[in-house]
Amino acid sequence: MGKDVLPLAVLLFIILVAVTGNTAQSGLHLQDNLYSVGVDDPSLVGVIGSDSRFVIYEGSPVSLYQNRESFDVIIIRGDVFAPDTKKGRAAVKTLQRDYDSYINIIYSQQEDLFASYPLWIDVQNVKSELDFVATQSGSRVAAPARSSTPPVPEGPVIEIVPPSSEVGIPLEDLRQGLVESQGTDSQISRYTDMFGEESPFGTFKTPHQLSPPLPFDSIILIFVFIFPLYFTSQFFMMSIMNERLERRGEVLLSTPLRPWVIIAGKALPYCAGMVAITLILSLWVGESVSILLPIIPVILFFLASALIIGMISRSFKELSFISIFFSTVATSYLFFPTIFANVHIISLISPLTLVIFTIQGEAFTISQYFYSTALFFLTSIVLFYIGITNFREERLFSHARLLTRISDFIATGLSLRHPYLSIFIVTVLAIPFVFMVQMMLLVLFFNLPMPLSLILLIVSAAFVEEVAKSVGIFTLLSRKQKFLGWGRIIIISAVTAAAFLFGEKLLLLVTLSQITESVFGNILFLSLGVLWIPFLLHFVTVLIVAVSLRLKGTAGYVPGLIVASIVHCIYNLYFILGWFA
Amino acid sequence: MKARNVGLIMKKDLGGLLNEKTILLAILLQLFVAMFSSFLMVGLTTMYDPSALQKHSGVKYGIGYVGEDSGLRTYLENSHDFLVYDMELSPGIAALKERKLSAVVYIPDIPPDGDDPVKVTLYLLQNDIQAAIVNVKLKEAFLQYEEDLRELRSARLDILPISLEFPAGSGTDFYEFIYGLLIPLLLFMPAIISSALIIDLITEEYQQRTLETLLSTPMSITEVVWGKILACEVLVPIQAGAWLALLSLNGIRVENMLQILLQVASFSLVLILVGALVALYYRERSAAQFIFSTVVVVLMLLALTFPGNPLNLITLLATGTPVQAQWIVFSGVVMAAALLGILVSQYAKRSGKRHLTE
Repeated sequence: MGKDVLPLAVLLFIILVAVTGNTAQSGLHLQDNLYSVGVDDPSLVGVIGSDSRFVIYEGSPVSLYQNRESFDVIIIRGDVFAPDTKKGRAAVKTLQRDYDSYINIIYSQQEDLFASYPLWIDVQNVKSELDFVATQSGSRVAAPARSSTPPVPEGPVIEIVPPSSEVGIPLEDLRQGLVESQGTDSQISRYTDMFGEESPFGTFKTPHQLSPPLPFDSIILIFVFIFPLYFTSQFFMMSIMNERLERRGEVLLSTPLRPWVIIAGKALPYCAGMVAITLILSLWVGESVSILLPIIPVILFFLASALIIGMISRSFKELSFISIFFSTVATSYLFFPTIFANVHIISLISPLTLVIFTIQGEAFTISQYFYSTALFFLTSIVLFYIGITNFREERLFSHARLLTRISDFIATGLSLRHPYLSIFIVTVLAIPFVFMVQMMLLVLFFNLPMPLSLILLIVSAAFVEEVAKSVGIFTLLSRKQKFLGWGRIIIISAVTAAAFLFGEKLLLLVTLSQITESVFGNILFLSLGVLWIPFLLHFVTVLIVAVSLRLKGTAGYVPGLIVASIVHCIYNLYFILGWFA
Repeated sequence: MKARNVGLIMKKDLGGLLNEKTILLAILLQLFVAMFSSFLMVGLTTMYDPSALQKHSGVKYGIGYVGEDSGLRTYLENSHDFLVYDMELSPGIAALKERKLSAVVYIPDIPPDGDDPVKVTLYLLQNDIQAAIVNVKLKEAFLQYEEDLRELRSARLDILPISLEFPAGSGTDFYEFIYGLLIPLLLFMPAIISSALIIDLITEEYQQRTLETLLSTPMSITEVVWGKILACEVLVPIQAGAWLALLSLNGIRVENMLQILLQVASFSLVLILVGALVALYYRERSAAQFIFSTVVVVLMLLALTFPGNPLNLITLLATGTPVQAQWIVFSGVVMAAALLGILVSQYAKRSGKRHLTE
């Protein structure tokens, strides 16, 4: 690292901690003075005065009413009026939230607490024995109720003692807890009241606290773990890039060291640093060291991607753009599923969900670990492999365009002497990435309204698969358009289709069994039933792209892909939704 | 400093950007962030919002009702979402485990107007998205029932709250999210991208040793640096303007666009100048980027603790809220930029001399 970074970094870090504390105290002032509110009763200032979003004006009812045009909301004799505009409605909504929390403060001060909080709910979670079996056919998890007679359980009925009607928590503790939970107003509650305050009594809640579980604090905590990893991988990226500046790396390459030794040597300090940071952080926040387990594949994935990004970018700006893009996409892949940590099994596609489990004090099973980290391990291995085979002079110091370089990188793995074998391997190696992208799509489309999400998923999943399958052929044909005669094109297409099917099947066997049993999984991994039908599909679609490439050269690639995706979609629609049947 | 030389450098760097086309990634990234964050907000809320769900499903969820008759029962029965079955506790739970019911409620024998609270036990399926949805729908019924119980016991309250009547029916909309978070964020991103860019542009000349070549021409280092700064600054209003246009196309009305662009351009310039200063000092990308990104986080958090910060102003301007402070803040930011500009020029001159003598 350059000159005197460390002292400044330490200084900045101290300032950062101080500023963060300060911000946490005073809150973020993003929406200050957004609404103007006119009130006729000065005591209302006590209700809304603490909300910095409101500018409060006092006036007589008559003057307020006459000037109502200039306010977003007015309150006259306890009645709230607002213009019927977006802003007016939003102001009313905000006011209502403030009023609710005011009411709760008043209520929690009542002498007779059970007059103001007469209803308490004890939420008991029951584990279902029928875990995702019900979704196999794409039907709903719980069968929709239709009949007027109560359902009769098929299995044995275990006798359950009716719960006692006692509250079991001292009155003053309840009051204390209610007062405290008022203070947990997070910034999120400004935008939606779906995630209300957490109950301080665990499963024991007022109706107001009955909200979907959002592990907000744990998600923030994970960020603390992931953030240093970004920076460290950035340094690794730069250290790879530095070897390419002014061909400095030539010295290294001229030594008898093998490329993998050089890369391992360069990556090791960064890897060790990341592990050390994670360990220190986990000790610091007082969590179990087992947090490291799910973070290791993430570290490897970051390092592998940093290696590739450092090797392909031609300039610093390109390095910045690609790495920012990569880290944003990776963050969303890692973080978004964790929001569902306590809600849905799909959250397990991110290793960070396991971190949340650890923080919440739950253990995770080996199969869960395997399920959520397998893709990260696999893609890291593939990326490292690509990086190592391409760690050569003509690749490192080339100044070709980005796409050409990527295709160069893949071409290294293709041998013109063994075209079939290499196509097979490239296609199999592409599959973990296909799964990752499709998982991302699944998460993205997961809770859009049902028909829309399904259609988007079908179209995009087909497109992603077509791109992945055509990678090998594209690289071959863009290098040597005439290399493949028509006969060879047919064989190559068949090999690609077979490889894709093989890889998909292999990966599915080891992971993802749970996801594939939902209706979404059916679409993504549909091509698994009878083998020859999907084989035919893959063969035909690859052939479409290959023929288009052979006829028009690289210009034929995109049209070929589009046609192939359309064919793929029609196939999916026919088989899943039974359209045209 | 000759304007022609500055212009040449600016053209060279912008040309390089266009040539590499990776700026497309930056634009794609902004689109992705916008899509993702609004999806996160809108999607999550839709998922848990009972009224939004009803549009898509006419499904009724089976609820096992165990214990005493109560007002809650009426609310559950009146809801379009539930079918209520009278059951015993044990078979009810067994049916829940087999997913033949969505929830079981147990009501004990406590008088509604008694001294003790009514303690209801609610059985839900663990780790199940449907349970979360049923949970939200049940919440409505519970809140109504709680209101009734409060009414019955209202004579016992000793502090009475001020009562307010709200107009009925204001559905969820994302006004504050769009104007108070998304728009400031979107308009802030071009500033971040440009200031990261200035570091790359400056450190690259040092690390690729192309600066010597540039300085052997009649060009001075101040001209080189300012050319780069202007190249980065020009990109900001273009990107921010594109965002505003896109938002308008989407039916999101943004007021005072010109003032917003001025605000964005002014605080971007400050960030770009800070970036340039850091880059000139370190002459090495990873150190400069690292220090700079920490500085940006500190500056941003610091700014956000004050009302009337540029992002707050953008929110107010975009919603058409009258703002008095905007020109004061604007001139303050421009003054800061001017000071930084002088500093950058001086420092560039000094480090240019040092660079040549080294």
